[in-house]
Amino acid sequence: MKRRERMLRDLDQDIRAHIEAETQDNIARGMSPDEARRAAMLKFGNVSRVTEDTREVWSLIWLEQLLQDLRYGLRMIWKFPGFTLVAVLTLALGIGANTAIFSVVYAVLLRPLPYHDASQLIVMNETTPRVGTVSVSYLNFLDWRKQSTAFAQMATVHQVGFNLTGVARPEVIRGLAVSPEFLSMLGVAPLRGRDFTAQEGNAGTEPVLMLSYEMWQSHFGSDPNAVGKTMSLDGRPFTIVGVLPPRFRWLDKLDVIEPLGVLLTNNADIMERANRGESVVVGRLAPGIGLAQARAEMDGIAARLAREYPAANDGYGVEYAPVRDAFVGDSRPAILILFGAVLFVLLIACANVANLFLARGATRTREIALRFAFGASRGRIVRQMLAESFILAILGGALGLAFAEGGIHAMARWIPSGMLSGTEVNLNGAVFTFVAALVIVAAFAFGLVPAVHSSKADVQSDLKEAGRTSSASAAQRRLGGALAVAEISLALILLTGAGLMMQSLYRLRAVDPGFRTERVLTLSLSLPSQQYSTDPAILNFWQRALDGVRALPGVEIAAVGTAVPLGGDHWRTDIVLEGMAELRPGDYPHPDMHIVSSDYWRTLGIPLVRGRWFTAADDEKAPKVGIINALMAQRLFAGSDPVGKRFVVGHRAKKENWITIVGVAADTKLYGLENPARLEVYLPFRQAPFGDMNLILKSSVAPAALTSAVREVIDTIDNDEPIAATSTMEQLVSDSVATRRVTLVLLGLFSGLALLLAAIGIYGVISYSVAQRTQEIGIRVALGAQRSSLMSMILKQGLRTALLGVGIGLAAALGLTQLLKSLLFGIGATDPLTFISVAVTLLCVALAASYLPARRAMRVDPLTALKYE
Amino acid sequence: MSTKDYKERIELLQGTLDLLILRTLRLGPTHGHAIAKGIEFSSDSVLQVEQGSLYPALHRLIKRGWISVEDGTSENNRRAKFYRLTAKGKRQLVVETSKWNKLAGAIAQVLRPAGQESES
Repeated sequence: MKRRERMLRDLDQDIRAHIEAETQDNIARGMSPDEARRAAMLKFGNVSRVTEDTREVWSLIWLEQLLQDLRYGLRMIWKFPGFTLVAVLTLALGIGANTAIFSVVYAVLLRPLPYHDASQLIVMNETTPRVGTVSVSYLNFLDWRKQSTAFAQMATVHQVGFNLTGVARPEVIRGLAVSPEFLSMLGVAPLRGRDFTAQEGNAGTEPVLMLSYEMWQSHFGSDPNAVGKTMSLDGRPFTIVGVLPPRFRWLDKLDVIEPLGVLLTNNADIMERANRGESVVVGRLAPGIGLAQARAEMDGIAARLAREYPAANDGYGVEYAPVRDAFVGDSRPAILILFGAVLFVLLIACANVANLFLARGATRTREIALRFAFGASRGRIVRQMLAESFILAILGGALGLAFAEGGIHAMARWIPSGMLSGTEVNLNGAVFTFVAALVIVAAFAFGLVPAVHSSKADVQSDLKEAGRTSSASAAQRRLGGALAVAEISLALILLTGAGLMMQSLYRLRAVDPGFRTERVLTLSLSLPSQQYSTDPAILNFWQRALDGVRALPGVEIAAVGTAVPLGGDHWRTDIVLEGMAELRPGDYPHPDMHIVSSDYWRTLGIPLVRGRWFTAADDEKAPKVGIINALMAQRLFAGSDPVGKRFVVGHRAKKENWITIVGVAADTKLYGLENPARLEVYLPFRQAPFGDMNLILKSSVAPAALTSAVREVIDTIDNDEPIAATSTMEQLVSDSVATRRVTLVLLGLFSGLALLLAAIGIYGVISYSVAQRTQEIGIRVALGAQRSSLMSMILKQGLRTALLGVGIGLAAALGLTQLLKSLLFGIGATDPLTFISVAVTLLCVALAASYLPARRAMRVDPLTALKYE
Repeated sequence: MSTKDYKERIELLQGTLDLLILRTLRLGPTHGHAIAKGIEFSSDSVLQVEQGSLYPALHRLIKRGWISVEDGTSENNRRAKFYRLTAKGKRQLVVETSKWNKLAGAIAQVLRPAGQESES
């Protein structure tokens, strides 16, 4: 800039000196001074133009041209409001959908986890072929930590739950019991107070805890003096030693963290090697060590431990997951599929807008030709049209952001939190960057092709004929047709995916879960072992709860049970049948164990296959009895009647604990509708008192309305006892298919959008082609063509485009639906019926979209058409 | 005529003037008027430069770094801008000259038999 000013400052003087010199020369040649000056001026030319041209040499020409292009673009956008509205709206839908889904992708898959160098953190579980993923035995963890060199640090993380007592409304608190080095290993420092000390990892330590930031806010009003106060959990006073930073999160939602020593103090059984509670191990890889190396070393350690302690470890291996994968779980495919789907929608939107541009480019051919004639370069014309696309894309992006903002709020309420792995979805810097990138890419995607295409215009013929019948417009029609073909194939792929998902969900919901869900309410309660330390105390509580709930108006039948189908956690253990040969440790039957009251099956509508249900007589004084499910009867007692046979729970159990089978219940889908039934054993609650149970009741009224009445019943028994979770059975079933449902609804929404856009695309292309061929059609009519044959000519054109698109789409869909496989149920990824019906749907839509322009073609008046030129 | 030819014609004219300026400055630094006169003189007045168009060209050359500018005094004692060929400009002059010679030769070759051939 400096240089430019310096150069131009002396220009006038330089020019004056020049003219003066020329004048002197002329005088020397013998002219009069006046004549000499006039001749000099004449020879120099237009001084102001020269000045202007020289200035231009120094100006930032591209910037000025850019501003010019933008101004021009704005004028064009203003001049064609209909075009602008359709284009911006189309783009906004495409960009909005992408933004909303990308915000989910970012939140779940990309947002940095709140740990130092999270990529080095590995979450480990144990695994056994019979059960799959299980928790890590504490003693195994200690050996891993001692022997592993691949991990610089290792911590164990146990899930714990407490009843918060001594407050107006008791509640259930979720927590973790962790090795003292857990937080420092993650690179997390407490916001307030101190971290746990090494001593606090050992049994016998004083009960202390750290609050989550949210807990600190909600229960202590962010009191800066909360550290040092006490909190009564399960009736025990815990000293608060710290507060976790905001946004700290772990695999499960948590309210408090306690050091492992506190857990060890009250749970001596953790020190048994075969005890696998609810825990994972997390380790930080040593510098320079990759997961593969660590895995090799750990597998060796696990194999040694299996040889050393076969009773506890035979058949057990280790499972590794980078902490990110542990967070994301199995929602990754659904999220990525949705992301792919919205990208398709955006592509279709871009193709549509490109088509609009092409069609309008045709009406502007003459204008562009004129600009060429006036010396504009092709690059300049392309730039100018791109400037226009950019303005449209930016408008579309802005409106799309507004759509996304609304969409995110709707989604956040509606997507199951498990699918989001506990993170918050919002518009943030990363999302804005993504939108900016989308706008740029979209502007090029829909702007470049038409721009380059228009710039190839042939000046002479375009000026003469305005391109109406020139070859350029035929090429334009071809390009438009190709874009429509692409739109149809993309829409077909999306529709096929949505169709497959819809049928999967339908078939899944049609699966007989083995239990009835209508008007069934479940409430989960957990009796703290301090207050309920004896079996009679536990039995007393449950009996009184059952009696109280049964007496409530509206309750038809009620039961207690350790497990609710689809409810999540279940207790499994080995059993030994009477007369069974000694087996290898991993080979014993390993059924789910349910402890239930006698009305459990009737409440849930599970049918009796053989034998009898439990009765009130099956109490603590009666002989021990059990009920098994049909699958177990078939697997373990093939051919013979299991009723009357005996088994024991666990292998080392004393033989006086023989349990006699008295009945067989039908199978239930405990672990989700898509999963096969498993072995199940039911024990009467009076013979196996247990503190953590669910109240299950069937009502004659809307079940949710009973919650507060049940709460009052529990209060009269123990007003320090919280109800952890309340849910209707229908809700549980619905939640169990939530990820699928959300994926389906979004996919359905996107494919509907795609279908609509593709229909508009075909309509646009055919309309444009009819408009272009008005004259030709007029001649045909004048020559006596049947109007119906004109109609079919146009419809055929639409059909050809659609058929090509459907063909390409089907081929692509055959490959792409394979990606959906993990989300499908009861239907193949290449289900022919779905493919055929989607193809037919698209062809019908394409025909309908071509029908309107075809009718217009039919009504062409030959006189008007021929006069048109 | 297509746009391509049209564009190239403009560039050709521009480039030629640049070449002539560089060639004139090869003899030593001088001011604008002298450059114009020099071009006329050395082409036996065949090439009449519209003298004004010299200035955008001079500034374009400055911007490219092929010539530099300094204050000086003209032969009749007036203050004037003196333009001087830079080292970069000298190299460019060699390149441009050879390009021009090639072009001129090629055009001459094309033109020689052209008059005799029939149009197709």
